[in-house]
Amino acid sequence: MAKNRKNQAAAIRFGPALKASFLCLLIAGSAVGYVWQKSQVYQLGKQIREMESRLTQLERNNQMLGDQLADLRSPVKLDQRARNLGLVPAQPAQVVRLSESPWLPSDKNNFARQLAARPAGVTPQ
Amino acid sequence: MIKREQQFRRALALLALVVLAFAGLGFRLMDLQVWRHDELAKQAEKKTQQTSWRTAKRGDILDVNGNLLATSIPVKMICADPSMIGGQQAVVAHALAPLLQMSEAELQQRLTPRIQKNSQGESVTNGLHYVRLQKNVSDETWQKIQAAMSQLTFGVDEKKLSKTDRAFLRNLRQYAISAEPDQLRVYPNGPLAAHILGFVGVVENTNHAPDLVGYDGIEKFFDDKLRGASGWRVSGMDSRKNELVTQRDEDVKAQSGLNVVLTIDAAVQHILETALTNALARHAPESITGIVMRPRTGEILALASLPCYDPNNPRTINTNTEPDRVISDVMEPGSTFKTIVISGALNEHVVTLNDTVFCENGIFHYGGITLHDSEHNHLGDIPVWEVLEKSSNIGASKIGMKMQAPKLYDYMEDFGLGQFTGIPLPHEVSAKNFVRPADKWGKYSIVQIPMGQGVAVTRLQMAMVLGAIANDGVLMRPMLVKELDDANGNVVQRYEPQSVRRVVTEDTAKEMVKALKTVVSKDGTAPLAAITNYVVAGKTGTAQKVVDGKYSSDHFFVSFIGFFPADNPQICISVVMDSPKEGGHAFGGALCGPIFSEIGRRCASYLNIPPDEISPQPGSPSPLVAAGGSH
Repeated sequence: MAKNRKNQAAAIRFGPALKASFLCLLIAGSAVGYVWQKSQVYQLGKQIREMESRLTQLERNNQMLGDQLADLRSPVKLDQRARNLGLVPAQPAQVVRLSESPWLPSDKNNFARQLAARPAGVTPQ
Repeated sequence: MIKREQQFRRALALLALVVLAFAGLGFRLMDLQVWRHDELAKQAEKKTQQTSWRTAKRGDILDVNGNLLATSIPVKMICADPSMIGGQQAVVAHALAPLLQMSEAELQQRLTPRIQKNSQGESVTNGLHYVRLQKNVSDETWQKIQAAMSQLTFGVDEKKLSKTDRAFLRNLRQYAISAEPDQLRVYPNGPLAAHILGFVGVVENTNHAPDLVGYDGIEKFFDDKLRGASGWRVSGMDSRKNELVTQRDEDVKAQSGLNVVLTIDAAVQHILETALTNALARHAPESITGIVMRPRTGEILALASLPCYDPNNPRTINTNTEPDRVISDVMEPGSTFKTIVISGALNEHVVTLNDTVFCENGIFHYGGITLHDSEHNHLGDIPVWEVLEKSSNIGASKIGMKMQAPKLYDYMEDFGLGQFTGIPLPHEVSAKNFVRPADKWGKYSIVQIPMGQGVAVTRLQMAMVLGAIANDGVLMRPMLVKELDDANGNVVQRYEPQSVRRVVTEDTAKEMVKALKTVVSKDGTAPLAAITNYVVAGKTGTAQKVVDGKYSSDHFFVSFIGFFPADNPQICISVVMDSPKEGGHAFGGALCGPIFSEIGRRCASYLNIPPDEISPQPGSPSPLVAAGGSH
């Protein structure tokens, strides 16, 4: 009987200690989890902020490049560059206008024959 | 027993103390949370919350092919908080002056808190927390400014300073200079199409960076569409003034302005402006204007008025360069007006092209005044088409008299004279006061007006008249804007060509085209306006300018308005010069004809306009004569 009482007492002392430890761990774990979660929220917020900033920067770069492209394609600038290269607009006498006639299958053969028969260096008119 | 009583008293005293302490805390809690709640909440909000404005990008202006004519680039407005600089203005000014392109002295002065008189007349510092230092600063420069601020040295060993002083210097480096988002309006092609685009100005705004506001041209007319709507963000900040994304209360994105796509073609505009600039140098007129449009739709491909300004440089904007003379100046049209008289007369069957008119051998006495044809014209009986070909004043006056004033006035109105054309540009005038109703005409009006005197028009109105004849008699509304697009390129609003009214029948218009072709022939007034491979129809104008209330013999408005290919008109071009240096020897055909021809030739090549099958060379006989002498 005495032995049993002694065993019971030991069991009582171990049980609450275990429970207390578990409770402490739970509370500590929750606290750490809460802090970790808060830290994550802060870190993610920081990442979002940085990404937004990067996005803004990329959008600006994109616009800047678009503006540069538009500038390079501007007819005025192209004209200036052409003039700087010594090019001038074609004069009317320099323009050869060809009449467009419907392309018939028979023409194709004729044209091929004419092309083959022409002397070297002569451009078809 | 005594001991128990003592214990009870002590416990009571302790309880009273605790109750008192809690009551004190409760009182303080009530004070902070209830009675002073609003005041403290505001203070807390000020320290932990930040409202940042998000500037809306002003919309772009594009030409018909998507070429950029006006755009906005993001820049920074550099600001300072003088209250955070203490007595270190000289150090900060020395570091930043080269970057901000300001003198050190000026910068130092702006960084110094100002002394002001309060309502009691006492001198106080204004506690200034915000001063603008420089606008339109690029992102790269802002980064250099941040680097310069973080590396500031104040000539002291900071380790030996007190904690407060160290914090002060740290805050100075980090927060004394800040930047606000702003935008700069840029016109990549400089003065190209300046009068169409207009320019913007800056309007101060108490909440955020200044707003850009259109002051002229499309920038003004479509200001509300281009401007967009600012956004804002209200969010929490940490102790280092970094935004806490999770504490964003409000986050409203800025809405970019709409892009305005014009009917203008930058290449055609460049062709026009180049030709006009050359003519400006050659003939030294007070001003020169040009219009290129598609007569079938009223689309304006180019419109220019020289001298003009560079919208990137506000210093070039003055009373001489600012007005768009095409729509805001009125002038007597001179002989180009004869197209209205003769087309009206043809339409009313008052005359036919082959009817003859006696031109009095060049001198016509009417009611006490004498009308003259030009010194080369001593014309007798000539057909109506030759009145246009030779630009006979007497012939036009006689046709006008035959038509009678009320009918002539009706056609003036129908062709849009004295009315706004409806072009979407500010400052257009209608010239209504210069187009009087027939019952208010004077004794000589019926002979003067048909030759383009005693009536005034804008250059655009007159171009639209010739455009109507080219368009089979239908007057179109000038079209300058093709569509409005959002920032992603989606069409928000599309504009379609609009006809105003039919003025003359299709047959009359075709008859007029026949007659107008003769103007560019060898015997016409504008053989130099001819374009190789194309048949041109048009009309010259040479009008005496009114100087000091009298017709001047030295100052003339000379013009040529024409279109081609005459039988299938693709483009209509108007060139008008005000007071060229040739003075009394200036004629529309001789001066404006070659400019028309140059513009037409280059436009035809660029726009790939199919040439006419019959290609009269410059100086060939009149088509009506060549056709077998239908007169």
